[in-house]
Amino acid sequence: MNRRNFIKNVGCGAMGSSTLLSSLTSLGALNGLTNLNKNAPGEDYKAIVCILFSGGMDSFNLLMPTGTAVGGDNGFNEYKALRTDLAVTQDAANLLALNNPQCSSHRGKNCAYSAYSVHPQMSGIRDLFNSGKLSFVSNIGTLVEPIANASEFKSSLKKVPLGIYSHSDQIMQWQTSVPQSRNAVGVGGRMADILNANNTNNGISMNISLAGKNIFQRGQMISEYSISDNVDPNNVGLQSFPSYWSNSGLLQEMRTHAIDSLVAKTYANLLQKTYSTTAKESMASFAIFKEALKRVPTITTSFPNTSLAKDLAAITKVISVRQQLGAKRQIFFVNYGGWDMHDGLLGGLNSKLPIVSQAMKAFYDSTVELGISENVTTYTISDFARTLTSNGNGSDHAWGGNNMVMGGAVNGGRIFGAYPKMDLSSGNNSNISFRGNFIPTVSTDEMYAELALWYGVSPSDLCYVLPNLGNFYSYSPNNYPLGLMNFSQTPISTTNHPLDCLTY
Amino acid sequence: MKSILFFTFFVISLQSSFSQNTRTFGKGNIKGVSVNASSNTTNGIKTLLSTGYMPNPKASSRFLSQATLGPKLSEIQALQNLGIEPWLNQQFAMNPSFNLQAYVQGLHQNMVDSLNLQNPAGNYTLDNVFIDDWAFDVAWFQANMHANDRLRWKVSLALSEIFVTSRISAFDGNPYALASYYDMLNKNAFGNYRSLIDSITYHPAMSVYLTYINNHATDTTGGKHVFPDENYAREIMQLFSIGLYELNTNGTEKKDGSDKSIPTYDNDDIANLAKVFTGLSWSNSRYLGENAIDKWSYTKRLKFFPVDSSEKYTKLWKKPIDWRIVNGHEPGIKTFLNQTVISRPVQQGEQDIQDALNIIFNHPNVGPFISRRLIQHLVSSNPSPEFIERVAKIFNNNGSNVRGDLKAVVRAILLDPEARDCCGEKENTAYGHLREPFLRYMNLVNGLELSNQSGIYRNVMVDLYNRLEQKPLYSPSVFNFYQPGYVPDGPIQEAGKVGPEFQMLNSLSFSNYMNGLHKWLISNDPVEFWGMFSNETYKPDQDPKFDISADFVLSKNNRIREFLDKYNLILAQGRINQENMAIIENVLLSMPLTIDVNGVPDPTLADRRLRMGIFLIMISPDYLINR
Repeated sequence: MNRRNFIKNVGCGAMGSSTLLSSLTSLGALNGLTNLNKNAPGEDYKAIVCILFSGGMDSFNLLMPTGTAVGGDNGFNEYKALRTDLAVTQDAANLLALNNPQCSSHRGKNCAYSAYSVHPQMSGIRDLFNSGKLSFVSNIGTLVEPIANASEFKSSLKKVPLGIYSHSDQIMQWQTSVPQSRNAVGVGGRMADILNANNTNNGISMNISLAGKNIFQRGQMISEYSISDNVDPNNVGLQSFPSYWSNSGLLQEMRTHAIDSLVAKTYANLLQKTYSTTAKESMASFAIFKEALKRVPTITTSFPNTSLAKDLAAITKVISVRQQLGAKRQIFFVNYGGWDMHDGLLGGLNSKLPIVSQAMKAFYDSTVELGISENVTTYTISDFARTLTSNGNGSDHAWGGNNMVMGGAVNGGRIFGAYPKMDLSSGNNSNISFRGNFIPTVSTDEMYAELALWYGVSPSDLCYVLPNLGNFYSYSPNNYPLGLMNFSQTPISTTNHPLDCLTY
Repeated sequence: MKSILFFTFFVISLQSSFSQNTRTFGKGNIKGVSVNASSNTTNGIKTLLSTGYMPNPKASSRFLSQATLGPKLSEIQALQNLGIEPWLNQQFAMNPSFNLQAYVQGLHQNMVDSLNLQNPAGNYTLDNVFIDDWAFDVAWFQANMHANDRLRWKVSLALSEIFVTSRISAFDGNPYALASYYDMLNKNAFGNYRSLIDSITYHPAMSVYLTYINNHATDTTGGKHVFPDENYAREIMQLFSIGLYELNTNGTEKKDGSDKSIPTYDNDDIANLAKVFTGLSWSNSRYLGENAIDKWSYTKRLKFFPVDSSEKYTKLWKKPIDWRIVNGHEPGIKTFLNQTVISRPVQQGEQDIQDALNIIFNHPNVGPFISRRLIQHLVSSNPSPEFIERVAKIFNNNGSNVRGDLKAVVRAILLDPEARDCCGEKENTAYGHLREPFLRYMNLVNGLELSNQSGIYRNVMVDLYNRLEQKPLYSPSVFNFYQPGYVPDGPIQEAGKVGPEFQMLNSLSFSNYMNGLHKWLISNDPVEFWGMFSNETYKPDQDPKFDISADFVLSKNNRIREFLDKYNLILAQGRINQENMAIIENVLLSMPLTIDVNGVPDPTLADRRLRMGIFLIMISPDYLINR
C-alpha cells in the first residue's frame, strides 16, 4: 500500500479511529527521521528476548563440572560416574573451559564445584561467557516457594508446582512463573501491561512472537503480534490480486474493506467474537508493519541458515525499525524445539547445541552492530532439565537445570545460583529421585525479577509481574535477587503503575 | 423392536421412569417437529418414533460438517432424503475403503518400475529407492477424494490428533510408518478403545515416537546405571486415557476435602508403569536393542523380548560364556494407579502389558476424558457436563455391557441433542469450535467438488503445510497442533471456557490462511503435483483445478444472491447472516461483468466474481466458527 492509498483507506473509514491516530503518528515519524538504526546516546529503549527450548533440554550436558582432582574438585569424574553412557565425553579436556566462573552460593546452597566447561560444540557461548556478555543460572526451575531439601519436598508442607515433570505444565510455568495455577498470564505479558505506556504507538504490539501464540507474551491487556522469520514488507498481510486483473488495486481495497467489515461486527458467540477480534487487530497491524519494514537497513552480521538463527535475525531487523514502530519497550519470543531426548541424547545434542551457540553469538553481534547491545537482554528457558541417569540412550523428565542470560547489560562470565553436586546419595538433599531429579535452588521468579527491574518495572510493581516473588525476595536498594544484571547504566524505576498485585 | 419405522436415537432420560419424553427440535432441524421417545430400554437409551424427523438443507449440511471433512451439495441433498440415523448406520456398516500403506507401496513400485525403464542397468528396487514422507499425503488425499466412508475419515483424523504420532521424529522420511499408523487408526475408529490402545502400544511408529522401542529393564550392574524410559508411561496416561486429575463422569474434576483437584498419578506411578513397557522391539529384530531393518519394520506389530541377549549378536569376539545375558523385560511387581501388576517370570512379561492396559482402560476417567476430546473434535469445544456425561455413560456401557465401544460413542456424540440442536448458543455462547486450518482446506476441496477425469490425484500438500502448519501426522509434538484445554484471551477466557483451535490463530496464521485461500481459489492452484522421481513427465490430469463454470450463470447481478446462498449452505451451513451476505454481495456487484448478446456472462469476469465470493465466505467469522 502506498501512502496515497493508505490515506484514502483511512478516509474510507476502513480503520478504527484509534488505529488512525497511531498510524498517522508512525507515518509522521517516517518522514521526519534519518539514520534510524543507530542508537542515539541515552536512547530509552530496552528489549527482552526469550528463547524457549521446548521439550526439556538436558542442560546438565550444556554446563558441566570439569574438575578432576580426586579429594578436591572432582566434578568431572562425579559427572561421568553418574551419567554413564550420557556423559558428553570421557575426557574433560574435550570440553570448552570457562574462565573463572565464580560460582558461589544461593539461599544456603553452595556451588558444588569451582571449574566448569560448556559442551564442545558451543564455542560461541564459551566466547560470550569469557568476554563477559553471558552468564549461566544454575539449578533454576519452577518453584512456588523455596524447598530446601527432599524431606521438605515429600512432607507436603511446601507448595509444589502443578504437574511437575509434565511438559505442558512445566513449559507453561516457565512462561508464567506461577506454578500453582493453570490460569495465569505470562511474565512477558504482565511486564508489557506495566510498561506499554512508554511506547508511543500501539499499532503493533510491543510483544512480538516468532512462534505464534504463547503464554509468555500474554498479559491482561497485551497480546502478541506474530510474524514470520521472513521480515520483508512484501511478506506482510494480504497477497495482491494478479496485476492482469482489471482494477486489481481497487479490488484489493474492496476486499480489505469487506474483510474489515465482516470482522468488525459484534458477534454474540464468544468464539466468533474471539476470532473476529484477532482478525481485526491483525488487519489493522499489517499496513503499519509493512511500512516500517521498508526502512530496515542493511545488516552485515552474518547469521547461519538455521531456524533459530533466522528467527533471531528477524528480531534484529524488527529492532532496527523500533523508532518507526514507536517502540521503546519490546519483548520477543522464539521457540527452538526438539529437546525431548528420551533417546539418542548425545547425537541430538551434538546436532542442536552448535545451532544454539552460533545463533546466539550472531544475534549478540548484530545488536553490537546496531549499537544497542546494552539495551537487549536475551535469556533461555526450557520445560525442565532431565534425569541425570540414563534410560539406555537418553534421559527422562526432571526439574531444576541450567539456563543462559546474554547481553551487554548482563554481569557476564558468572554462574549465578548454585550448581548441584553430581551425586544421588542421601548426602545430596536436593535430589528427590533415584533417577537424579534436583529440586531447583533458584526460582524462575528470581531471574525474572532481576530482568524486570532492569527492564524498568518499579520495585512496587514487581508483585504484579511476579505474584510469588515475596516468597523469595523483597527489594531494597542495591540488593538484587541474583546480581545478574548491571544496573550502573539503568536506574531503578520509580514510576509506579496503578495495577493491583496479583495473587493466585 | 427394530423396524424401518424406528430410528434408534439416544435421548437420555433424566428420569428413570418409563414415561414418554417429548423433545422439540428447533430451527436447523425441522421447525417445531416434535418427536416422542418410546422408552423401552434400560440405562437411559431410548428409541424414537420419528417419521417426521428429517433434516432440512441447513441441518443436513450442519450434520455433515461435524461428521465428515466437508459437505458436498449432493451429500447434503441425499441426507435430506435419507435421514441422519440411516446415514450413520450406512457409515458404520462400511469397511475401511482405502489402504494407505498399499497405495504408498503402489506409488513406490511405480517409481521403481519407471526408473528401471529409464535406466535398465540401474537395478532399482523398493529397497534401494527412497520415497519421501509426502507419499503418505498423496495417499491420504487420494483416499479422501473417493472415500464413501466419510465418517470413518473424520473420526480417524480426530484420533490422529488425540493419539499423536508425528513425522517430526525419527521416521520423518518414511511414508510407510505414517500410512501404517493411519491405517491402524482407520481400522480401529469404530472398534473398541481397548483394542485401539493395544494397537497403538504395539505400533512401531508410536514406540519410536515415544521412545519405548528397545526399552530395557533396570540395569545397574557392571558399571551400568540404566532405568526404563518413562516417556510412554507418562503420555499414555496424561494424553491418551485418563489425564492429570480424577474426573467425575461428567468430565468435571473431583475435589478433595480442601477443594483441590486430585492428581491421578505421581512420579512413582510413572516409574512403575515404565517398567511394564520394557522388552519391546521390532518384529524382525534378532535381539532387544537392534535397529530397524528396513522401511517396513515400521508396519509390523512389535515383538516382545523377555531377555536381552544382544551380546550374542554384537560381541561376536566374546566367548559365549562371557556374553552378558540380562533381563530385557523388568521383573517383579509394578504398582500404579493403586493397582498391581503381579510378579511373573519375565518370559510371561507380555501379560504385564495387557494387565497394565486393562488397568488404564478400566480407570473411571477414560470415559469422560475420551468423550470430551471426541466431542471437541466433532462438535464443540465446550460441551456441557450433561453432554459429556451422556456420552461417557455410553463409553462405560454401550447398552450391551460393553465398555469402550467407539462406534456407540461416536453415534452418541453426533445424535446428542446438544450436537443436533441448532443455535445452542442461546444457552451456551461458547458453542461450536473454530475450524482447524487443515479442515478449512478440506472443506474447500469438498465444497467445490474438486475432481478430474483420471480419478488420480497427486497432492503432496507441502506448500499447504508451510502455510497452515497442519496436515495429518505432522504435529509439532505429542501435544498436538493445539491443546484441548487452551484458553485464548478475551471473552472466552472471561467466560471460563476453552478454545483449543485458537492456539493456532494469530496475526501470522490469519494472513497465511487468507493467502492460502488466495492461492487455491483465486489463483486456482489447489493441488501440488510433484514429480516422484527426476524426469517424470508432468501429469496435468493428476493436478486438477476448481471448475465453477456451471455456476457462471449465477454471476449475473440478479442471480448473485443465489450463488452466495448456495455456497453459504455448502461451506458455512447457511450461517452467514443477511447483513454479512450483503457486504459480500456488494463487493461482487461492484466487480466488472459483461454479458454477451445471448445473455451469457463473460467467463473470465464471472469466474473472478464467484471466486471472490467464496473467498469472502471462507474468511467470515460465521464460517470459521462451526456451530
